Amino acid sequence: MPKTSSPALAAAPPLPATANPAAGTPAAAPRYGRRALRAFLRNPTAIAGLVLLALVMLGASLAPLFYPDDPLGMVGRPLLWPGRQWSHPLGTDSLGRDVAAGLMHGARISLLVGFAATCVGLSLGILVGAVAGYRGGWLDDALVRLIEIFQAVPSFILLVVLVAIAQPSVATIVGAIGIVTWPTIARLVRAEVRALRSKDFVVAARGMGYGHGRIILREILPNAMPPVIVTSSVMVASAILMEAALSFMGLGDPNTVSWGSMIGAGRELLRTAWYLTALPGLLIVVTVLALNLIGDGLNDALNPRLEKDS
Amino acid sequence: MRGGTLRVVVDPDPPTILTVDNSFGASQKVGPKIVEGLFAHDFQYGLKPQLATSYSLTPDGLRYTFQLRKGVKWHDGADFTSADVAFSISLLKELQTFGRMMFANLVETRTPDPHTVELVLSKPAPFLLRGLSAAVSPIIPRHIYDDGTPFARHPRRDTPIGTGPFVFKEWVRGSHIILERNPNYWDPGKPYLDRIIFRYIADAAARTAAIETGEVDIVPDNRIPLSEIERLKALPHLQVSSLGYDYLGNHTQLELNLDNPVLQDLRVRQALAHAIDLKVLLNTVWYGYGQISPTPINPHMAPYHDPSIKPLPFDLKKAAALLDEAGHKADAKGRRFGLKIVHNPGVGDLRRVSDYVQQALGKIGIEVTIQAQDFASYVKAVYTDRNFDLNAGTLANLFDPTVGVQRIYWSQNIKKGVAFSNGSHYSNPEVDRLLEAASVATDDAERIRLFHAFQKIAVADLPLINFIAVDQFTVANTKLRNFAIGAYGASDTFADTYFQS
Repeated sequence: MPKTSSPALAAAPPLPATANPAAGTPAAAPRYGRRALRAFLRNPTAIAGLVLLALVMLGASLAPLFYPDDPLGMVGRPLLWPGRQWSHPLGTDSLGRDVAAGLMHGARISLLVGFAATCVGLSLGILVGAVAGYRGGWLDDALVRLIEIFQAVPSFILLVVLVAIAQPSVATIVGAIGIVTWPTIARLVRAEVRALRSKDFVVAARGMGYGHGRIILREILPNAMPPVIVTSSVMVASAILMEAALSFMGLGDPNTVSWGSMIGAGRELLRTAWYLTALPGLLIVVTVLALNLIGDGLNDALNPRLEKDS
Repeated sequence: MRGGTLRVVVDPDPPTILTVDNSFGASQKVGPKIVEGLFAHDFQYGLKPQLATSYSLTPDGLRYTFQLRKGVKWHDGADFTSADVAFSISLLKELQTFGRMMFANLVETRTPDPHTVELVLSKPAPFLLRGLSAAVSPIIPRHIYDDGTPFARHPRRDTPIGTGPFVFKEWVRGSHIILERNPNYWDPGKPYLDRIIFRYIADAAARTAAIETGEVDIVPDNRIPLSEIERLKALPHLQVSSLGYDYLGNHTQLELNLDNPVLQDLRVRQALAHAIDLKVLLNTVWYGYGQISPTPINPHMAPYHDPSIKPLPFDLKKAAALLDEAGHKADAKGRRFGLKIVHNPGVGDLRRVSDYVQQALGKIGIEVTIQAQDFASYVKAVYTDRNFDLNAGTLANLFDPTVGVQRIYWSQNIKKGVAFSNGSHYSNPEVDRLLEAASVATDDAERIRLFHAFQKIAVADLPLINFIAVDQFTVANTKLRNFAIGAYGASDTFADTYFQS
């Protein structure tokens, strides 16, 4: 491979490694991390995002306490409006299922799918990106082609096809979202790793006789992480949206309640019982907003150039 | 009264216009305006002359003679003759789902003169006349289509001509079909409308908005969500009618896979029936629109329907006792066994049936897993892979029990890979005998007796749990008249349809 930088490399965000040449030595990383955390916590939008996400998480964790029974149970009179009956504070849907129970249990599914799918996407993406960026040569060429193939297919259509083939369930949806989202991470990590692999501290580590695995894991990846962390918070948000869209289309796990399936089932009644779509819709908006705010905050905190400007 | 453009919503997008080789509901709305049948039908399946003016039948039920209408011209000016009828019936017998069934015992079609057709059968076909409609048995011009090209690939397949009250003008796929008034229609003065535009609108909310704002004039076939019907009924400029769907014989049921050893036990099947409250299905799942129909032949199909049959009462204790008796004791968590339910995804409300059945059977310790999938996977899962235990379906009675019901219960129809056949794999020689006898009985009283006897056995054996005859709705502008004047409703010619000024 030529040593000239690829477009991806040129486009890579400014690197913490350049801001902190000592990064990679055991003492420097925590100091940098603490400073980033302080910057993050001073950021009001980031705090707002954290608070909103915490509220949604609280709702999800309290669901089994408030509604220990199956949230799909037909427990009340159908189409009861919110506020009419204390036992069903947010009303019931067209089959008499409690909306509040659905929202709380749905939060569990949305968060579970959001975080689990992001973990799958991150693992795949980091693995492929790190190997491709570090090794270079024919392996890099091959993996980049693979990434391009995935990125050439519209991701939601690929997602629908994967879920339709594998039969919808929480596990298959998590896997499928992971499969359609890893290329973004892989590209990002590859660009970072390519930029870092010829830095002095990496060359030094190589000179000390460290193995490739140790160099990637201990020296390069920690320095490549900041942009990945920023991206992954947005990935959680988009995974939640993808799950909602799948469920809306009837391709969600039919045996669990999710915000998307609640909207899908309530869509027919948009004119007569709008709360059935508005309430889960609102929660999706809040959750995705929270994650995006957190992402912005992380970006500000982890991006040294912005810090210098301020 | 004369004149005006009628805008009709069709959905799904009709794959074709003529129903010669298919029975698509959307095509059945469009085709009959252009091509006609031998007869139209009133609400009791009484015959109204269309291309045939009269018929006679030999007492053995084996030879029909039809007198055809004289002076009828195709839209291109050619004369309509008995050769067209013979040609069309040969195509229907070869290509169409219903045609294969209706004309299965047709031995010979004779055309002694241009205005007489004789059908010679090897066995009686008492259901035949009910299916000689424009929607089910369209008569197409031989001089256009009989040129050796297979019908499926015929260049004129999508630009048809007929004898009907409207002439094909334009078709933009995925958007609309335009038909113009036929000024030379055989019934002088008709049709009343100048033009019909069929518009394809894919989204239910958009269809509702379109009829509400007056952008379209009529939405047939339940293409408006049931949940909206009550609201639309209250609007002064709209009317809601459930007339004209007799030919569908709409019916819903839960099909039990008898290949599953658990479901082979009659007590288990009875327990399922006891645990499902048909009133909840009717009032909650279908918003109260329909009739409880515990037998395979639904109340719309009177007199063949047996009204003496009552559903098994909703009784959870009885259900639990039956399961105990069958050896399926509840474990510590109250769980007995699991079943997998599938539903036809093409019909929106069936997902709600799955949701209800899951809840209802959960109460007696049966853990039901819903499997959602696309239409093709559903058909394959049920009829090829047999990968299901319960199937929430709408297997309609159609225009006659021999056509619509026999296919589900007849053991000869246990056919792997054939959609909407005997999916439960039910086999009872006595049921086979009754159904076969009813399919050739020339005396209607005898047919009624046979069908009643069949229903008693089918309900006792319970290979399917019959649910509801769901109402079908047409929503139309209040000014529109005569859009449903017989059993075929909006699948008729619309020659009599008009706007009141």
